[in-house]
Amino acid sequence: MHINFESFVEWDNSPFILFNNLGKIIYLNNAAEILFGYTSKKELYNIALFNAPQSFGYKTTTLSLSYDSFAFYAITVGYENEEQLSLRMYNAPRLEIASKAETKKLIATDINILLEANIALFKTKNSNKLQLLVDQDLPPFKIDQNNFSKLLRKTLNTFRSSDSIDISLKLLIGQHVIIENKKESIVQLSIKANGRYTDEDKEITSLASLGQIKCITKENAITLEIPLIK
Amino acid sequence: METFFTTSEKIQHIIKSFNLTKTLFVSSILIGEAYTGKKTLVRYLFPHTPIVSGNNQKEVTEALENYDEIIICDFEKLTNQNILDFSNKRIIATANYLGNPSIIDQLFAFIYTMPSLKERPDDVKFLRDNFIKEAQSTLMIEENDIDQKSIPLNLTSNSKSLKKSIYQHLAKHTMNIDDIQEILYKYLYTHFEGNNNYRKHLGIYEIPLIQAGLKKYGSQLQLSQALGINRNTLRKKIYEHHID
Repeated sequence: MHINFESFVEWDNSPFILFNNLGKIIYLNNAAEILFGYTSKKELYNIALFNAPQSFGYKTTTLSLSYDSFAFYAITVGYENEEQLSLRMYNAPRLEIASKAETKKLIATDINILLEANIALFKTKNSNKLQLLVDQDLPPFKIDQNNFSKLLRKTLNTFRSSDSIDISLKLLIGQHVIIENKKESIVQLSIKANGRYTDEDKEITSLASLGQIKCITKENAITLEIPLIK
Repeated sequence: METFFTTSEKIQHIIKSFNLTKTLFVSSILIGEAYTGKKTLVRYLFPHTPIVSGNNQKEVTEALENYDEIIICDFEKLTNQNILDFSNKRIIATANYLGNPSIIDQLFAFIYTMPSLKERPDDVKFLRDNFIKEAQSTLMIEENDIDQKSIPLNLTSNSKSLKKSIYQHLAKHTMNIDDIQEILYKYLYTHFEGNNNYRKHLGIYEIPLIQAGLKKYGSQLQLSQALGINRNTLRKKIYEHHID
């Protein structure tokens, strides 16, 4: 009996990539496709080569990889001939959020208004130039207005002496988060600049987790992944 | 309806941010020196919102129980800040100074700083003209009697000292001889002490006389002629009164 495994691999939640001997991608599944929004083919190919078994076969290596909000705890690299090299990456479990969401208490809000108000607040103190790219068509969704405003104030404040601040607000297509057993879309607010203050990162992260928001802090950027709770 | 005049870019941003969050349940605080127009601004933006003062803790607690939207002025005077619960309410507070930064940071989503009048030269001009008009009508002074530009403006306590300096200037500069004599009479009556009072109080007359004369005539020689006293006498008096 011939079993076609391809669709099982295709819809596996962990990324799977098949390279040829020149590093070209022959096949990638859905999860890998999303991952390529955050890393490059070359980077992953090099990781595969470096962790490949010495001869034909498969080798699993435990290591910690993270690309933006994606984290992996192990990879399996394998080849059965000279032409194909496979890379399977294992999703690290997402941390269970400690605080329980009380979504019923939350008020449906246009996030663009909150963002705009916080930018006005930022401008009362700073004269830095801001580049804004937002999606005005985002539907209103449930959010703790006061806490989220605090989070925005603190986040923007880390850019108080940065140049060329880029703010973008968009819906993450194809990505979801489960909150109270419901699948919710994710809105991504990302702020980038040439650099920023990082002294308040801990507070920002904990404030974000109160609102079920995933916060990714980098040296020159902060990304908030906000569940779009309807 | 109250209006709020400003050309300050900072305040325009504050107004914009307040207007955007008017319908949201967020807490905001406006911090700045006394007499910079914080309460006027908040009243202008929220004309129908109940207003309570941090001076009265009981009043604040009651208002928090009964309303979803309140203005708390003099927030720095409130002593129970750490137990307040602002969740799902629209709170607008004003304070003369920050107080405990971590409590303020925890309570308020929007923390605005009201610029002082020194940072708002155009607003000062507007306020000056308003105070002059007000003072003219209160003190019943004819408009063309005053040189508006010569009024020294005191901004050390913002609009309070500005108003005071304008009223004082206008009151002083519209006095006639009877007023001056009356003031001197009162002053001298309360300041007579011991002997030698003639010499002690002579400076009240002589210092402004010589200062004004020197300004007008430029040289001591000319001034002595104008005063009709000897040059040496004038020199001696200048020395006695420490006039430069």
